[in-house]
Amino acid sequence: MFKKLSDKFSKGIIYLAAFLVMALMAVMLIHIVKESIPAISQLGFKMFLPSTEWRPVSQKPQYGLLPAIAGTLYVSAIAVVLALIFGVACACFLDYYLPKKVASVFLAFIDLVAGIPSVIFGFIGLTVLVKAFATHLHMAAGQCILAAGIVLGIMLLPFVISTCHESLQTARKTYEFSAITLGFSREFTLLHFILPAIRPGIIAGAMMAFGRALGETMAVMMVIGNSPIYPKLLGRGQTLPALTALEMGSIEYGSLHLSVLYVANAVLLVILFIVLGISYLLKRRLATHEN
Amino acid sequence: MRTKLQKFFTRLILSILGLCVIVITLFLFLYVFRKGKKVFSLSFLLDKPAGVPLGTAGGIYPALMGSIYLGALSALIGGILGIGAAIYLVFYSTGKRFSILVNMAITGLSGIPSILFGLVGYTLLIYRFGLSRSLLCSSLCVAAMIIPFVAIRAKKILDEKGREYMKTSLSLGLSREYALRKMILPACFVELLGTVALGMAYGMGAVAPILYTGAVMQADVPHSLSDPFMSLPYHLYILVNNGFSLDYAYGTAFVLMLFLLIIQLICKFITYLRKDN
Repeated sequence: MFKKLSDKFSKGIIYLAAFLVMALMAVMLIHIVKESIPAISQLGFKMFLPSTEWRPVSQKPQYGLLPAIAGTLYVSAIAVVLALIFGVACACFLDYYLPKKVASVFLAFIDLVAGIPSVIFGFIGLTVLVKAFATHLHMAAGQCILAAGIVLGIMLLPFVISTCHESLQTARKTYEFSAITLGFSREFTLLHFILPAIRPGIIAGAMMAFGRALGETMAVMMVIGNSPIYPKLLGRGQTLPALTALEMGSIEYGSLHLSVLYVANAVLLVILFIVLGISYLLKRRLATHEN
Repeated sequence: MRTKLQKFFTRLILSILGLCVIVITLFLFLYVFRKGKKVFSLSFLLDKPAGVPLGTAGGIYPALMGSIYLGALSALIGGILGIGAAIYLVFYSTGKRFSILVNMAITGLSGIPSILFGLVGYTLLIYRFGLSRSLLCSSLCVAAMIIPFVAIRAKKILDEKGREYMKTSLSLGLSREYALRKMILPACFVELLGTVALGMAYGMGAVAPILYTGAVMQADVPHSLSDPFMSLPYHLYILVNNGFSLDYAYGTAFVLMLFLLIIQLICKFITYLRKDN
């Protein structure tokens, strides 16, 4: 009798947990859509016109999201490109030129970087990178898109390296023995057989890294300068999450401003959905190829 | 000749870029540890923040405790829900509508940026439901962020270790719940706990979800769920952003990083030991 009761109880908890997780996702989505409706019905497409600026508190408020959207994509693209160049090279370096034990120590060490909270990255970026930009490049403040891209790129490194390391090892098992037997050098094998073989996996990983970069808030917000203008490499800029974090605390509930922020995040979610969707499809295609 | 040059340059470029990455990662840790060590002392850990503007003297005790409370509470909520959902997906899922939806919810939540949990939590909990900025609100937001983190990893653990147990137990005529309680959960307990602890470390480092839902510049150690609280990463953000005191910011960053790293190292060490056996 008691056993049956506790069976029912355990089952109830498990179903409840599953239901709550689903409800949480539903509530998030419904809430975001619902809060975006006032802005969409009142401003409509005006939010995405290139001529509209972001001036939410002026006499005639303008809500142009395009500069922040461009900034988000720009910063994330810089970060992913940097992380890919350094990450792939580092994974190859660790795999090829270091003894296995040393490489695994470094890998574990790089993995720890993934656990550093983003506010510390922002802090280091601000005290080291931005300061160096200000003194060496004679900029007024040093906060710029490039700084944000570099900081974000370092944050993505552990992720890129671990993905790349895994695919490298499987590819090496498949190709290296035959290639070496045929008399190719290790470098030739790497450049001509292994890198092309792992390219789809790396692209899928890069898309996922891009998705992470898009949503990063604190680190970017601390070094980008937060001006809602069109991004230039050495100029200030703004990203969608930073915009949200910066402005959401100071606006009234029910105002148009808040609704526009929700639209901004809905746009961010749509971009994320596309990017992560592509990465998912790539990965699935890869899995079917391997089998 | 050409192949030799190619070989040489490949080696050179890979080594330079690889060493760059290693130097950068070493620098991240050494920089914070070296600069932070100067400020770090027992009184820095155990005193309340003081000075004008606040945080330029004294210590960070309330922020440390606030972070621990926040981490514990959100790990409790997020851990139970995340592991519950993972158990459902591994052992109860029928492949029908509900389980597809739960699966999609977890994947979807894992893609949502942390700031959105803060934004939705802020408008929904504080404006709609009229709660005050409090430990409870922040914990709920952070828990929502932890759920997919825990669920995805727990699903993998249960999938690898639990299926065999479940099959055997079912063929012996035991109920699913009995097998879960007596065999699978005890067998996976350490790993699941480690996952939740990692999720906690992840949640404790986040600023975006607690930005306006409960973290404040100055508060005591929270006594109840409805108290506002101080948190280490938020404190660091305030110190840096307002330019109050860089020295104390280094100290705070040092404590935060050390704290989170210790949690992660313990978790990794445990999984490492388990894998060997």
